[in-house]
Amino acid sequence: MGEVKKHDTPKVDQLKTGPWPSFVDDIYSYAEKHKKQACFDIMGQMELSYINRETHWKHGGIVGVFGYGGGVIGRYSDQQEKFPAIWAFHTVRVHHTAGKWYHTAALRKLCDMWDNRGSGIVNFHGSTGDIILLGTVTDQLEPIFFDLTHQLHWDLGGSGSNLRSPACCMGKSRCEWALVDVQELDYELTMAFQDELHRPAFPYKFKFKFSACPLDCVASVARADMSFIGTWRDDIRIDQEAVRAYVRGELKPNAGAFSDRDWGPFDIKKEVIDLCPTKCMYWDENEQKLYINNSECNRCMHCIAVMPEALRPGQDTGIAILIGAKAPILEGAQLSTLIVPFMKVESPYDELKDFIYKAWDYWMENGKNRERIGELIQRIGLNKFITEVMGLTPIPQHVRVPRDNPYIFWKEEEVEGGWTRDVAEFRKRHPA
Amino acid sequence: MDKEELKQKIIQIMEEKVKKGGKTKIYLKDLQREIPDANPREIKNAANELVREGKLEYFSTGSTVMFGLPGVGMGLEAGVEKPE
Ligand code: HEM
Ligand code: SF4
Ligand code: SF4
Repeated sequence: MGEVKKHDTPKVDQLKTGPWPSFVDDIYSYAEKHKKQACFDIMGQMELSYINRETHWKHGGIVGVFGYGGGVIGRYSDQQEKFPAIWAFHTVRVHHTAGKWYHTAALRKLCDMWDNRGSGIVNFHGSTGDIILLGTVTDQLEPIFFDLTHQLHWDLGGSGSNLRSPACCMGKSRCEWALVDVQELDYELTMAFQDELHRPAFPYKFKFKFSACPLDCVASVARADMSFIGTWRDDIRIDQEAVRAYVRGELKPNAGAFSDRDWGPFDIKKEVIDLCPTKCMYWDENEQKLYINNSECNRCMHCIAVMPEALRPGQDTGIAILIGAKAPILEGAQLSTLIVPFMKVESPYDELKDFIYKAWDYWMENGKNRERIGELIQRIGLNKFITEVMGLTPIPQHVRVPRDNPYIFWKEEEVEGGWTRDVAEFRKRHPA
Repeated sequence: MDKEELKQKIIQIMEEKVKKGGKTKIYLKDLQREIPDANPREIKNAANELVREGKLEYFSTGSTVMFGLPGVGMGLEAGVEKPE
């Protein structure tokens, strides 16, 4: 190689002056060390985009490796004369592990492969969760796929109209709040739905995300078409003596997490009772005792996070399933909606898989091109989705503000005699 | 409809579209619309099997995926010539 051409990039270089470590430094030092023309060209094209204020990437039609409908995203520069080393700069999505734990030996092998077959630029991790290998040429795609699957025993992630790589929080591997084993759940469902992950099956993308407790560290409520969140159905466990210790200021709220600033003495009413979203908590000042009406609690975990030594989730644990979050494409952004408040989960997760297939089957048959399942629910109505599609019984918690709307729509079969009546008979009793 | 019939039907639909000067790439949803009497999951399986056999190919921008006949219409490296 030897001969590499560095471009003049004054605008891009400005990014190095900020307070944070800069990817510009990283890419340049890597490019110098490995004599990578693609890395110099990518900086050059970025400079040009800063000057022109528009992108110089164009979409290609390339899909990637044989037999897979996703995992590789084709990208081409429209400045081939200026930046020949990035005329093709495809992205490879590598499926991350559950909870994103890696052995350094595995990462070294991956990096060696990528030094050799790609630009050397990586992103840990993309928004969906995958490891993103940024920038390679078409001829390298099959060799990369071979190395990944046969040498490293890793796989490509999802892209296109597929199940995207599922993602979970670190769960039981590190976190004492984990209520279910989301890493196992993530792994199990990923393996069960390999076909949906690699071969296009759907009207559009579909994402699973798993959080082992309602604090929802993977933001599954905002980012997944189907969110699985650890929860419990018995009562919150209360240690009244520890509650009093918080009230007396002997224990630090939020385990001291916000101690960088003086927030004044802990106020249980202001910081816990009044912030309970369902107003189901009561602190009796005289008795010095905390009461929780568990049948109204929606398991948000706010109170538990503030007073972790005093409050613990119940012990009858399972998951809640929410459906329909998405970023704006056809419709605006939305969060997922609670569909199943509680389901027990045990290997081999048959009940859960049946539930998923039911939602998919309906979406595959009735969804429009590029319509996410959340938009489909909006179109047909939540009521119809819950009752007719999923075959579930609606509960008041499905309705955001159940007492605000006095109207109940009955179906004909729910009304004795249906919609027909004998008018003559009616008029006998009720003269016009 | 058994799988082989379904696969033939899919190829037939794709070829007819091209002959009529229609689209060379087609969404899975559109295939499902053309074959209303088959189950969507079976159509998906048949179309994906045709890709494995090299009789269809995927075409994707990264966001959605379409199916096309190999060598017909816009190629995989659409509008991209590798510079010498
Ligand atoms: C237990 C007894 C009753 C209940 C729970 C009830 C409830 C309601 C409700 C929820 C509405 C709709 C309010 C709205 O539009 O926001 C309504 C409207 C109305 N009710 Fe009643 N009602 C009762 C008895 C009666 C009786 C005995 C009469 C007359 C003899 C009556 C006459 C009306 C009228 C005229 C309207 C307005 C209808 C319209 O908007 O066109 N209601 N009622
Ligand atoms: S979602 Fe809950 S269990 Fe998972 S890492 Fe966050 S706090 Fe822990
Ligand atoms: S978990 Fe949330 S809803 Fe339940 S009592 Fe605590 S703050 Fe209230």
